[in-house]
Amino acid sequence: MIDLLANGLVQIVQWKYLLPLLLGTVAGVIGGALPGVTITLTIIVVLPFTFGLDPLQGLAAMTGVYVGGSAGGLVTACLLGIPGTPSAIATTFEGFPMARGGQPGRAIWLGVWASFFGGLIGGAFLILVTGPLAKIALAFGPWEYFSLFILAMAMVAGLAEASLLKGVIATAIGLLITVIGTDPIMAVPRFNFGSEFIGAGFPFLPVLIGIFAFAQIMTDIEKMSAPKMAGAAGAAPSLRVAHLKVIGEILSRPFLLLWSSLVGIVIGVLPAIGGSAASVLAYDQAKKFSRRPEKFGSGVPEGIIASESSNNANVGGSLVTIMAFGIPGDAVTAVMLGAMTIHGITSGPLFMVKHSELAYGIYAAYILAHVLMVAVVWVCALFLLRIVNVRLAVLAPVVMTLCVIGAYALNNTMQGVYVLLLFGVIGYVLVKAGFPLAPLILGLILGDQIEINLIRAIMTDDNPWLFVTRPISGGLLLAAATSVGLAVWQHLRHQKKVAAAESEPNF
Amino acid sequence: MPLGRDGIAGLIAAALGLVLFVQTFAFPQMPLVPVGPGFYPRIVLAAMVLAGAGLALQDWRARRGAGAEAEPLRLSLPGRLVLAGFAIVAAYCALLPVLGYRLATLLFVAIFQAALEWPRQARDWVWLAGVALATTVVTYLMFESYLLVLLPRGSLTGW
Repeated sequence: MIDLLANGLVQIVQWKYLLPLLLGTVAGVIGGALPGVTITLTIIVVLPFTFGLDPLQGLAAMTGVYVGGSAGGLVTACLLGIPGTPSAIATTFEGFPMARGGQPGRAIWLGVWASFFGGLIGGAFLILVTGPLAKIALAFGPWEYFSLFILAMAMVAGLAEASLLKGVIATAIGLLITVIGTDPIMAVPRFNFGSEFIGAGFPFLPVLIGIFAFAQIMTDIEKMSAPKMAGAAGAAPSLRVAHLKVIGEILSRPFLLLWSSLVGIVIGVLPAIGGSAASVLAYDQAKKFSRRPEKFGSGVPEGIIASESSNNANVGGSLVTIMAFGIPGDAVTAVMLGAMTIHGITSGPLFMVKHSELAYGIYAAYILAHVLMVAVVWVCALFLLRIVNVRLAVLAPVVMTLCVIGAYALNNTMQGVYVLLLFGVIGYVLVKAGFPLAPLILGLILGDQIEINLIRAIMTDDNPWLFVTRPISGGLLLAAATSVGLAVWQHLRHQKKVAAAESEPNF
Repeated sequence: MPLGRDGIAGLIAAALGLVLFVQTFAFPQMPLVPVGPGFYPRIVLAAMVLAGAGLALQDWRARRGAGAEAEPLRLSLPGRLVLAGFAIVAAYCALLPVLGYRLATLLFVAIFQAALEWPRQARDWVWLAGVALATTVVTYLMFESYLLVLLPRGSLTGW
């Protein structure tokens, strides 16, 4: 393992790979710093640039975006009080008061170094755990795969903030999109209504880009007339700080660092939950464990360390799930999965066996991206404050152009562009109707595999009870049922609380 | 009692699911395969119909419980800018194969910018034109020359 990792590192420091990794990290830090531009949108914008690259170059660029974006959001969170990405929301609670209290350098560098250490802990987990998990997954039959995918979808639908029913409908829409085209066993046409346009089904990436990018950009455009938050006016703040002292501040809290990173990793491993949940949960845990919880909100370093170490460790967790099981941990890894498919690589347990050099190249890129992220923030922190002033009127057309190129360049046909437009409208309507997009995307990604494994299992043995009686499959289905049961229970408890609060007399 | 946003969304999901569910019975059955091509879609669509009906019922019950206090449904139409945005992007997609990538993108970036923020001074117009030109030239050179993506040519313009 050490040899393979060393080989990966030697490979990734060659200019051929280092340059895409560096450019990806820069794009990630900038995209992360721009309020309203999420890491998912940044990776969608970077995607078409990776089509002409070899697989490791493309995946290195995307890993750079992922790592850079997870740290980029903290700069604007600390200096402007506006989280650049949702995963920097918890950093704002402490970073902004600390910066306003005259310590902007300390706030930013506590965040950057905490991201660095959290990311490395996530990296260690990624390297040590992916291989063994993939070996376990290799022993899976179609029953276990089917049940694993059902568990992933049950968790995501159950975690939908709006309602469980909306989560189920969104999941069903995602699955339905994969059904359109031809059936995977006998190639019988399904729901194409005689149209050549959808005869072969909808290509995955244009659907994903349409749903995410359109919904995001159009929602941002809708907010254009809303009053803007006051930024940090006046002279540029000094970010000079004694780095060893800041690092010492973080390492003197080893339990906090490890626990927050662990929270990030676990949330990352769970499908489609993402960095924002990880950072808020780690922040909440830091507050609960703190000896001075009442000080939280006034600029305490523990809050920044917890939030930032957790959201970067989360990246490592997400990569484990995609590499070991082929299930994306979040929307960013969903795009990475799509990019792998374009290069003819199938993720999942066989990926570690068939493409071990590529896998260790990704590990190496992940580790090196953290070093580059520190260097990029070091050089660009103040420059980023200028970039965040780029107006949406300029940003939106440029981003949309890159989305259109991304959809077109998949097959060099206009079909992808029309699919992008169609699903852009659908995605926007669903967001406006309050439907969560994460379950839809997971359904879209896993739909084909769920059907193939279900049919394969039935064709192998038509006894349906095998899904329940095989120990791993049964355990996974039980976990799925528990997840849904918990979601229903939480929903009912919440409704009771609301009803009780409303029935109290209001004096 | 009129339905709210969730209720209408649930009914639409249930109706769509039901129509497609019925369609699955028209799929040909394969004698050698234990389950046909309609087996899996039926499971998905049944879940969609049940969840859609459940959502509509939940919304109806919630609104009935709220009684007179239940707010009437207000269809919030997207803002003028969003509608303009969709129209401009749709026009861009339609014109790409007609005008070709270079001309269509130049126009798209310029018009979209102007629609989102109308230029007030000569300097703003120069900036708008500069961004449109730079986006077109940089993306064209990057994708055609470096990444070897053959971008759309215009049937009308030939370039």
